[in-house]
Amino acid sequence: MRILSIKDILFKRLLFVAALLILLICAGIVYTLVSGSYGTFVRFGFFHFITSTAWNPTIGHENYGALSFIVGTLLTAFVALLLCLPFSLPVALFTGEYFRGKKIASIISSVINLLAGIPSIVYGLWGFYTLRPIMNHLGWGQQGFGLLTSAIVLAIMIIPYASSLSSEFISMVPKDLKESAYSLGATRLEVIKNVTFPVAGMGIFASYVLALGRALGETMAVTMLIGNTNNLPTSITSTGNTMASIIANQFGEADGLKLSSLIALGLLLFLITAIINFIGKMIMKKFAA
Amino acid sequence: MKIVNSLLLATVAIAMVACGSGKKQHSTLSLAGAGGTFPLPYYTLAFKTYLDSNNVNVTYGGIGSGGGIRSLKDQVVDFGASDAFLSDKEMATMSPVIHIPTCMGAVVLAYNLPQVKNLKLTGDIIADIYLGKITKWNDPKIKAINAGTVFPNKKIIPVYRSDGSGTTYIFSDFMSKVSPEWKNSIGTGKSLKWSVGMASKGNPGVAGTIMQTDGAFGYVGSEYAFAQKIAYAQIKNALGEFVVPNTESISKAALGDMPADTRCMITNSSAPGAYPISCFTWILIYKEQYYKNRTMQQAQGTVNLIHWMLGPEAQGMTEKVNYVPLPAKVIANAEAQLAEVTYKGRLLTVGSKAKSAALTK
Amino acid sequence: MNYRLIKDKIFFGCICFLSSLTVIPLVAIIWQLVKRGYRQINWDFFTKTAPSTLDAMLAKSNGTLISGGIANGITGTLLMVAMASAIAIPVGIFAGIYLEERPNTAFSNTVRFLTDLLQGIPSIILGIIAYAWVVKSLGSYSALAGATSLFIMMLPLIVRSTEETLKMLPVSMKESALALGAPYWAVMLKVMLPSAFGGLFIGILLAISRVIGETAPLMLTALGSTAVNWDVTEPTSAVPLLIWQFYNDPNLVDLIWSSSLFLMILILILNIIAKQVAKKWRIQ
Repeated sequence: MRILSIKDILFKRLLFVAALLILLICAGIVYTLVSGSYGTFVRFGFFHFITSTAWNPTIGHENYGALSFIVGTLLTAFVALLLCLPFSLPVALFTGEYFRGKKIASIISSVINLLAGIPSIVYGLWGFYTLRPIMNHLGWGQQGFGLLTSAIVLAIMIIPYASSLSSEFISMVPKDLKESAYSLGATRLEVIKNVTFPVAGMGIFASYVLALGRALGETMAVTMLIGNTNNLPTSITSTGNTMASIIANQFGEADGLKLSSLIALGLLLFLITAIINFIGKMIMKKFAA
Repeated sequence: MKIVNSLLLATVAIAMVACGSGKKQHSTLSLAGAGGTFPLPYYTLAFKTYLDSNNVNVTYGGIGSGGGIRSLKDQVVDFGASDAFLSDKEMATMSPVIHIPTCMGAVVLAYNLPQVKNLKLTGDIIADIYLGKITKWNDPKIKAINAGTVFPNKKIIPVYRSDGSGTTYIFSDFMSKVSPEWKNSIGTGKSLKWSVGMASKGNPGVAGTIMQTDGAFGYVGSEYAFAQKIAYAQIKNALGEFVVPNTESISKAALGDMPADTRCMITNSSAPGAYPISCFTWILIYKEQYYKNRTMQQAQGTVNLIHWMLGPEAQGMTEKVNYVPLPAKVIANAEAQLAEVTYKGRLLTVGSKAKSAALTK
Repeated sequence: MNYRLIKDKIFFGCICFLSSLTVIPLVAIIWQLVKRGYRQINWDFFTKTAPSTLDAMLAKSNGTLISGGIANGITGTLLMVAMASAIAIPVGIFAGIYLEERPNTAFSNTVRFLTDLLQGIPSIILGIIAYAWVVKSLGSYSALAGATSLFIMMLPLIVRSTEETLKMLPVSMKESALALGAPYWAVMLKVMLPSAFGGLFIGILLAISRVIGETAPLMLTALGSTAVNWDVTEPTSAVPLLIWQFYNDPNLVDLIWSSSLFLMILILILNIIAKQVAKKWRIQ
């Protein structure tokens, strides 16, 4: 039986308190959001609000519904994740496995980390001046605005989150595990598939969850490129709106029922992120089993 | 580990020093205000000048008129700013607020047709464009009032604001006054339900989209259009004149009758030569300046600032940055309102005497 | 036999190809920033406060550089990010350690779940939250409120990267240290954390990078300031707030690029510092 010193007990308490703090912050956020959005749910009813595509801010005919934005958010975030995957994963392997420790890996990872520091408004501007004309030229989207345009910019924005963290986890796979595989005659690819991914898998998954979270909550860049129409998007190239961008657009001027509807959207985004994460965890559990 | 520890210590130290030092050097007064982005360039310039000459640090956050009013309601700012005055219903939910106009501006209709140098439009035509009834530039209705101009067979691409905005409010206020169809379908407001066109965020977004899209058409804040030298249209006013928006025509819109509290929209003014989509922008403060532990210094400082904004130095700056100064009649009106501001029931004096009194506190 | 080797080579080729494809647009964006922004960066940039629209107009008509800089934004950003980091880093690391040490309790699973949730909250909502919690209580916009919203945004990245990195360390490391009689706190802080430094650092770097460029929450909490401000209970400017101001001003749009360039350079410096520190400590 180890006798724990006072320092150890204090330390363990400290760890617990830190974790508890996160719980309290989340509880506080939920409470503030619920009390802010109460008016909307009372007026429209929870299920009606979620399934309605109306969004009429004209005084006297006010009617708000979240469905168009829920669809817009999910579409842009998942398309962004899909677009980012075939680029961030190879880069993670490049810097974490193949060229680990070499100068080129260092340079590339620095360049990618720089991307994370660019303000989202600047991504929006870059997208507006550079990407939008290209999309317009290709005929995707309305005058180049649309869900696809914002998904592309989102994909670029989340690459650092996905690849930097994954790269780190990939490089942390214990050498002896890999070396025993090599000694059995495995090729590099086989080692990656059978040793690196299973060992670093959870970490890589966590980094993509964080990247997806970033994509779900991004405001400025999306707002400037998505076209801002409050209807249900019919295809990936149509214009639309995400929950985050409509909140960003309308919050400055909102009041009363509109304000509580926007906060309700925030609460819904919270719930949707929870559901997505939950489903993701279930999938990972099945996959790992 | 040592380095992480020392970094942490350093940051905590900075924070503590910051807390400490802040309290010490509080001899310069700090005022905070929040409101729309329409007057942001002008206010930033004005407040910077005020800081240099009066040693008072005024912060203005362009978070939106709604945000400004909310901040005033929550009493976390010294003044709010808005392009739309508070309605009677809104005023009823707050302690008495006075509206002080600080400058004028307008909403212009910008377009992207390099071949067309002069464009004349009426409210009806604009309504039809945004309702999707007029879709091409060479529509007979447009040609009818623009005799002599050649229009290409291009689609009109209307642009509107995606974010809630005072500019939208002013524009739609005018449109509701001149087009019954607009009034019934789109209406007046900071954020509207549009059926046709593209949305862009902020004046820069709309202006940028118009400049980059051939055949585009939309409403933009005047100071933005003037500064960027975008082409804009002449609009028919209430007297049937086609008016070019500029300093004179915008000022003329304020020459009509005005209530004492200056709460009125001056769109579709019936004054001759007036540009019909002109507007004021207001600063809002509480009439009774004692609330929530507010000091006399804060109250006096706020009143002095607003008095300075109505003075010749500040008004003279407006034109340099493409805003429009207030006509003398409106300034007199505003000063009269300012003179009614009280602190703990006693009237606050406004002017140079009061300023020196406050600074020597 | 050959088939496996060919697959291996093809895979390697794909990796290199896709990596280079990725890097190209990224370099293009960074190049755009540099090209449009480098001219404005001089000594004034760091020491003078933001120029007004009149300064910009005059400069444009004279064909000179806009005078003034972003000193008020730089100091504000440094102040708020430092405050937020001072709390987020310890809380995040400790929470991460807790989650790794007791991974399967209901409490841990809940906290982990909630941490991932926090990452998905739009920054503007966190601004609304910090407004309700701090601005309203304090009675004014303040750097403190701004730091609060940034702190919440930083947490998920730090917590999760700490947890996952610690998970990947060999258990033998911890056990041998404990077996040698070292107290638990010393094992965690002096053995495990330094070994996990790489992953920890990436999490912290990403967290700082994320908050350094955020506008929306600061608009609702710190408001902004014309002058340099070190008082945490007063409204403070920040580089992203200045960028928003420049965006809305027809004459100051050019300054957006140099301000973003500055933020990027800041991240680069953080990156370099970290790599140096990591070199000293890498126990791999």
